[in-house]
Amino acid sequence: MNNNNNGGDCKYTIHQNAYIKLILHALNHKTSAVNGVLIGRLSGEVVEITESVPLFHSSQIGLLPPLEIALITIEEYYSSQGLSIVGYFHANERFDDLELGTVARNIADHIYRYFPQAAVLLLDNKKLGALRNKKDTAPVVQLYTRDSSKIWKQVESNGPNRLTTKEPSANIVLLDFISSDKWNSIVDFDDHLDDISKDWLNSGLFK
Amino acid sequence: MGRVVLHKTGRIYLSRWIQVLFHSNPYPPFVSKSLQNHRQSIHHSQPISINRSNLQIKIKMVTKTEETQLQQLENQVENEGGGAWEYLSLVRKLKLRRSDKVLKHGLTLLNDPKKRSALGPDEWTLYEQVAIAALDCQCLDVAKDCIKILQKKFPDSKRVGRLEAMLLEAKGSWAEAEKAYSSLLEDNALDQVISMRRVAMAKARGDILAAIDWLNKYLEIFMADHDAWRELAEIYVSLQMYKQAAFCYEELILSQPMIPLHHLAYADVLYTIGGLENLQTAKKYYSSTIELTGGKNTRALYGICLCTSAIAQLTKGKNNDDKEIAALAAAALEKDYKHNSPDKVSLLGSTLKTMKLQ
Repeated sequence: MNNNNNGGDCKYTIHQNAYIKLILHALNHKTSAVNGVLIGRLSGEVVEITESVPLFHSSQIGLLPPLEIALITIEEYYSSQGLSIVGYFHANERFDDLELGTVARNIADHIYRYFPQAAVLLLDNKKLGALRNKKDTAPVVQLYTRDSSKIWKQVESNGPNRLTTKEPSANIVLLDFISSDKWNSIVDFDDHLDDISKDWLNSGLFK
Repeated sequence: MGRVVLHKTGRIYLSRWIQVLFHSNPYPPFVSKSLQNHRQSIHHSQPISINRSNLQIKIKMVTKTEETQLQQLENQVENEGGGAWEYLSLVRKLKLRRSDKVLKHGLTLLNDPKKRSALGPDEWTLYEQVAIAALDCQCLDVAKDCIKILQKKFPDSKRVGRLEAMLLEAKGSWAEAEKAYSSLLEDNALDQVISMRRVAMAKARGDILAAIDWLNKYLEIFMADHDAWRELAEIYVSLQMYKQAAFCYEELILSQPMIPLHHLAYADVLYTIGGLENLQTAKKYYSSTIELTGGKNTRALYGICLCTSAIAQLTKGKNNDDKEIAALAAAALEKDYKHNSPDKVSLLGSTLKTMKLQ
C-alpha cells in the first residue's frame, strides 16, 4: 500500500451508472439515511469509480453485522474483476443536513485504511433538487478525502481535483430515469438480506 | 494486495474497529438546523417537512400477507383498476407512510362528488388522511383546503386542532406549532399523537438530543408503546449509543418476547458493541430469532456465522464454543441460496470461507 499518496493529489471520476445508482437509491428511500460503497481502481493519479453498490437504508446504518457481511461479500465479488472498494457514499436523513456524521466517518475511516485515496461522497439535496431548473454537469454530491490527519476534508467543487462524471451527460440521463420513477427498481443490500432473490448487483437495471 | 489485506486481517480489523467505534465520543455535537425535513423529492419544489416515521409502524413490522395484499392493491389502483378506497383504508389500518400515493388517489376520490358521497361518514376520515399526506408531500395548499373543510364540519374539534398544529409544523413555524401542541395537551395530557409530534419536531429541527429527551419523557407515560421504543433504539444506534439502544431492545423483548425482530435487533446491537460476552449473547439471540422464524431469517443465519467467526478470533480458537450451530447455519444459507439466488451460491461459499466457516 502506498501510504504516501495523499488523497488530495488525486483526481476522481465516476462512471455514469455508478453515479445514477447511488442517487436513485437515495430517492427510493426519501425519508431515511442511505449509504453505499464505491467500487473501482486507481489508475495513475486518477481514482476511477466504475461501480457502486447501494447498501442500507435507515436503522441498519450504524450496525456492524450487516455491514460486515456486505463488505466481505462485495470485496469477494469485485476482486475477481480486479476492482476493489475505493470509497463510500452517504445521504443524510434530513434535507439540509450536509454534515458527515460519525457513523459515515467511521465507515469511511475503515475504507481509508485499505485505500488511502478513498473518496467519500455526500449527497447534496439542494443540488439534486435544482437539477431540473439548472442544467449542470457536475455530480450532485460533495466529495471528501482524507490524509494522515483524521479529518475528512471537502474537495473544492470547482477545483482541479473535483469529482467529475466520466460521461458528461450523466445528469441528463439521471433526470430521465427520475421522471420514469426508475428508483423503484433499485435493490440494495438491505433488500437482499430481506429477500435473497433480490439482486444487489442490480444487473438488470440499465438494460 | 488490497485483497490479501482484507482477507487476512479484515475480520480482525473490523473487531478492533468496534472498540474504536464504541469508545469514541458518544455525544457528537448536533448543530440545530433551521429546517428539518426529509430528503427532497425531485418532483416537489419544496422539501418534505414532517418527520412522521416516529408515529408509524415501520414497514418491517407488517406481515408478509399484509405486504402482498398492499402491493396488489397498490398496483391495481395505480393501473386504474379501482379499489382506491380499499387501498387507502389498508394504508390507514397498517399506519404506513405512502404519502404520495395517498395524496394522488385520495384527491381523485374527494374531487369526485359521486364517489365522495358514496363514502358516507368515512368522507371525513379521508379528508384527514389526505391532509396528512399532503403535509408530508409539502402540498400545503391541499392540506389547508382539507383542514378548512374539516373545520367547517367539526368546529371545535381537538382532532382538527391537531391538524392545524401539524400544518404549522409543516410550514416550519416551530414555535407556533409548539404553542399549539402545548395548549392541546393542556386539555388532554394523554394524547399520544400530539406528544409524539414534539419528538418529530425536535428531530425535524436536527435537535436529536431534544428528541431523545422528549421520547424518554413520552415513554415514561406510554411505556407500552413498542414503536416508540424501537424509534428510540434506532435513534441511539444512529448516534452510536449502542448500550442505550440495547436497553431499549431489552425492554421490547421483555414485553414482546415472541417477536423475532426484537431478538434480531438486540443481537445486532450486541455484536456491534463487541467483546466476548456480548458476542456469545448475540449468538444466543440470533438463535432465538431463527427458532421464532422457523429458520427463515437470512440475517440471523449470517449473524450466527459472524459470531462464531468473531468468537474464534477473539479466543484464538481456544474455547468450547459450539461450532456445530455455525455449520448448520452455513448449510441453511447454502440451501436457501441454491433455491432462491442460485447465481450467488459460489459467492456465498467464498464469503463463508473468508469467515473460516467452510
